[in-house]
Amino acid sequence: MNQIASQNAPSPKVVIPHFVFGGMTWLAVTTLIIFNPEAFTQHFFNPLLLSITHLLALGWITMVIFGALYQLIPVIMEVKLYSEKMAIFSFILLGLGAILLPFSFWNSQLGSFMYVSATIIVIGIGLFVANILFTALQSTKKSIEKIFILTAVIWLLFTVLAGLTLAINLAHPFLELSHLELLKLHAHAGVVGWFIQLIIGVSSRLLPMFMVSHNLNTKKLTFAYFFINIGLVIGIVSLFIEQANGVITSVFAVVFGIFCYLSFIYEAYKKRVKKHLDIGMKQTAISYIILILPLSLIFILLFKFEILETLTLPLAVAYGSTIFIGFITSLIMGQTYKTLPFIVWLKVYRNQVGKVKMPLPKDLYSEKVATIQLWLFALGFVTLLVGITFTTNNIVRASGILLFIAVALYNFNILKIVFHQPKKIE
Amino acid sequence: MNTEEEKILQLLKGVVDPELMVNIVDLGLVYDVRVNESEKKIDVDLTLTSPGCPMGELIIEDMKQLITVNYADYKVSVNLVWEPMWTLERLTEKGKAALGKN
Repeated sequence: MNQIASQNAPSPKVVIPHFVFGGMTWLAVTTLIIFNPEAFTQHFFNPLLLSITHLLALGWITMVIFGALYQLIPVIMEVKLYSEKMAIFSFILLGLGAILLPFSFWNSQLGSFMYVSATIIVIGIGLFVANILFTALQSTKKSIEKIFILTAVIWLLFTVLAGLTLAINLAHPFLELSHLELLKLHAHAGVVGWFIQLIIGVSSRLLPMFMVSHNLNTKKLTFAYFFINIGLVIGIVSLFIEQANGVITSVFAVVFGIFCYLSFIYEAYKKRVKKHLDIGMKQTAISYIILILPLSLIFILLFKFEILETLTLPLAVAYGSTIFIGFITSLIMGQTYKTLPFIVWLKVYRNQVGKVKMPLPKDLYSEKVATIQLWLFALGFVTLLVGITFTTNNIVRASGILLFIAVALYNFNILKIVFHQPKKIE
Repeated sequence: MNTEEEKILQLLKGVVDPELMVNIVDLGLVYDVRVNESEKKIDVDLTLTSPGCPMGELIIEDMKQLITVNYADYKVSVNLVWEPMWTLERLTEKGKAALGKN
């Protein structure tokens, strides 16, 4: 093999719009939190929270993951992306669906509007899945990271198809199972099957690369893979046939699998040669600390302790928030600083060596702004959890304001990176 | 390595890995430098810390540019090699110290 990964990199035009759209959506969500804090202080099955969750899951998290994957797949699979056109169509459809579906939830517009929105998302995501699978077919490279990514992509397709079924079932009930149980099924297929597995696949390659960690025990990842997937299948079947013991078994299996992965990441951290954690890696580290919260909350919700009975509903909202706004969002914000500057830097400075002044990729954003953003985000997130736990709208609103400022700063840095111009040598 | 090859190795300390912010020589990425004076050729064997490293292309471009400026009448080739695979033992003491700080 005598190939350079950057030769397989896709056009930045495919990648960058995903980051910009994602950042803007996340900013829009913070304004929704400010003006509608009640979304977080009632039962989680409410139209406002459904809208916010879908905006986050599709318009922010999945959107940025798609963009990042188009750049990373050639690195991990060592081939070019199958089709850039498909990626652009997928972006347009996902973007459109990510706005329309939450809009239909917000206005409780069940029926055709919701089906059309959900169908647009299914087609957009279907294009993405096909693109990734066709790319994988061209690659002979075998690695656990690749298997995680491909499995995650299949779970993503399952999640959106289950979502479409839910949307139809909401207007024309044909399934005997309650909407709440179906929602749990859809949500966990998405969170564990898609987000967590994708994160494992990508981070187990990238984080050791960023920290320069070698000689890691990848068997831990193989264990993680089997425990998570077997656990998830047991969980989904158990939820469908309403088998409580199956659900409990599934939670233990999935959580154990996640711990295997965390042990791998911890090993990489301990064996790292690059000691200093830059701002992107600091926010990444914080996201792993946050992950302890949902991994603990799931057991509290599962065993329904009497002493916490009055807190069950707020804790269920807190559980979802620690995953979406806590762990995944924090990880994506942190990793944006590790990936986007490199993507733009390569675009701007390829074939420019010696002709222009070359900054380092980290010079493309303001570290000061990123640092303020990180701590405002952490404060906003903690405030949100307090507001949810005490079901107090004003505290949730205050968290929305803190998060809004943090995300505005994050967007400032994204745009600073995206619009970076080289300086000519005098 | 002869004196000329040593000189090129020193020169290559001016090429920095943009992620690790340490020069490629102290990272132990330069495996060999060969100067053929009669054919006016310079060959450099280079590896990367990880096969997926997306910075490879720019590092190579930077190396070629730097050598060409100093050896204008030579043909410069940089060969990317993956064997033996790069390990931490290839880091120089300076490289280790720099990574510990950066």
